[in-house]
Amino acid sequence: MVLLDPTTLIDIALIGLSGALICLAVHFIPVGGAPAAMAQATGIGTGTVELAAGSGLVGLITSSYMYAYEPTATMGLVMASGALGAAVMLASTMLAGGFIYAYGVGVPFASAQVKKDPITGQRQDNYVSKGTQGQGIPTICFVSGVVGSALGGAGGGLIYYVLMQYYSPLISTSAAAVAGVFTMGVFYVNSVIPSYGVGGTIEGVHDPKFRRVVPKDVFTSIVVSMLCGIVAILIAGGMT
Amino acid sequence: MVLDLTMSMAILALLGALATIAGCLEDLESDVGSQSNPNSQVQLAPQMGFLHRIYNKAISGEPISNGMSAVTGGTVTAVLLNAKFYAVTAIAIGALVAALLYGIYATTSYAGRVASQSRFKQPLYMDIMRYTTPSIIAHNFIVNFCLVSIAYIQYAVLGYPFSIPFLALIWGISVGAIGSSVGDVHYGGEREFQNREFGCGLNTALSGRIVRKAESGLRNSIDNVWFCAKFGGPATGIGLGLTVFFSSWPTTIWGYTWKAMGAGVIILVVMIIMNRLLEISVKNAYGPYKEDKEEKEAGAVAH
Repeated sequence: MVLLDPTTLIDIALIGLSGALICLAVHFIPVGGAPAAMAQATGIGTGTVELAAGSGLVGLITSSYMYAYEPTATMGLVMASGALGAAVMLASTMLAGGFIYAYGVGVPFASAQVKKDPITGQRQDNYVSKGTQGQGIPTICFVSGVVGSALGGAGGGLIYYVLMQYYSPLISTSAAAVAGVFTMGVFYVNSVIPSYGVGGTIEGVHDPKFRRVVPKDVFTSIVVSMLCGIVAILIAGGMT
Repeated sequence: MVLDLTMSMAILALLGALATIAGCLEDLESDVGSQSNPNSQVQLAPQMGFLHRIYNKAISGEPISNGMSAVTGGTVTAVLLNAKFYAVTAIAIGALVAALLYGIYATTSYAGRVASQSRFKQPLYMDIMRYTTPSIIAHNFIVNFCLVSIAYIQYAVLGYPFSIPFLALIWGISVGAIGSSVGDVHYGGEREFQNREFGCGLNTALSGRIVRKAESGLRNSIDNVWFCAKFGGPATGIGLGLTVFFSSWPTTIWGYTWKAMGAGVIILVVMIIMNRLLEISVKNAYGPYKEDKEEKEAGAVAH
C-alpha cells in the first residue's frame, strides 16, 4: 500500500495544494472573455483556460529550467521561478493589450464592478461606455492579474517539484517529460473548474463574484487535484 | 550547456526576436482567417442579415489550434533531426508540414461553418477560399518556424529538460493566448466596427453588425490583415517578445538565485507603473463618457 506511506500522502496533499493555488489564480486574473475582445467588458479579451494555462505553462518552462540547473534549489526557489515566468507572461500580455485598448480602440480603462479603483482611488463609473460592462485593464485588474498569475505559476512549479522528486529515482532521463505533461494536465483541470464558477468573466479580486465563488471552487480543486495526485503516484508503479 | 554571459545574452536576444515575429504573425494569421473571439461577430453577422465575404475558420480557440500546429511542427522536426537532417532544414520541413495540416483544418472549418449557416443564405465564396487559404498557410508556416526554432534552441543549445515537441506545444499555447488577448482586440474592437465613431465604445446592441464595405469594393479578410498589421500584430509580437525575454533575463544575469527573483519583481512593478501611466494618459486624453451628477448640479447652481 504505497499510497499510505506518509511521504506519499504529503506529496498528494502538496499536489492538492498546487491545484488550489492554480484555481485561486484563475479568480485573480481579469478575464473578460469574448466581450472584452470587442472592448465590451473589463479585462483581458480571452477565456479563463487560455490565460491561466498560457501563463502557467511559461512558469512551468522557467521552473523546470531552474530545477534542472540548480540541483540545490529549494522548493521555494522552484516555485518562485514558476511564479516569475507566469507573472511576466501575463503582465506583458496585459500591457500590450492595454496599448490596443488605449490607441487601437480608443477607450479609457474602466471597471464596471467598483465605483472607485481600490488602489488608485480614481472614479470608474463615469468612464464606462454606454451598453458595455467596462473596458480595458485598470490598475486594480492589472495588479490582481499579476498576483494571480504568480500564484498559478507557483502552483505549477510545486507540482513539477513534487513529481520530479518522485519520478527522478525511478526514470531519471524521462522524469522531466512525464512530470511536465502531468503538470500541464493538472493545469488544465484546475483552469476549467473555476470557469464554471466565474461564468466566463471576472474582473479580479475586487469583483463581488470573487468572494462568492472562491471557497466552493478552491474546495473542488483540492479534491480533484488530490485525485490527480493519487493517479500520478499510481502510474509510478509501472516505472522501472 | 553552460554558456558565458555574452553568448547567453545573444541567445536570449535571438529568442526574443523570434518570439516577436511569431507573436506578430500569429495574430495576423488569426485576423486573415478570422479566429477566436472576434469571429463570433463574423459568425453572428449572417444571422442578423449581414451577409459578408470574410473568411470564417475558427478551428478552435487560438491557443489550442496554435499549440496543435506547433507540436506537429516540433514532432516532425524531432524525427528529421534524429535522421541526421540539418537543423534549419528539419525545422523548415516540420513547419511546412504543420502549416499544410493547418491549411486543411482551415478549409474544412470554413466550409463547415458556412454550410451550417445555409438557412441564413450566407454563400461560400470559392474565390475567398482560394485567395485566403494560402495566406493562412503562409502566416502559420512562419509562426511554426519561429516557435520550433525557439524550442530547438532551448532544447539543443540551452539544454532545457523538455523535448522539442513539448516546448513547441507550450510556446504554441502561449502565443495563442497572447494573440487572443492582445491583437484580437484590434480586430474585434476596431476593425469589425469601423462604422461608428472612434473611441465611442462598442454597445452590445451593435453585435453582429460588422462592416462589410472596404476602402475599395467589398471587404474581405485580406483587407482585415492589412489593417491589423499596422498595430494589432506588432503589439502581439511585443507581448510575446517581452514574455520570452523577461522570463529568462533575470536568471541569465544573476543565475538561479533569489536575487534574480527580486529583479523579476522589479520588472513586474515597472510594468504595473507603465500600465498606470497609460491609464492616466488615456483618461486625460479621452475624458469620461458621462458627466458626474454632482458636477452637473454644481455647474447648474453656479449658472
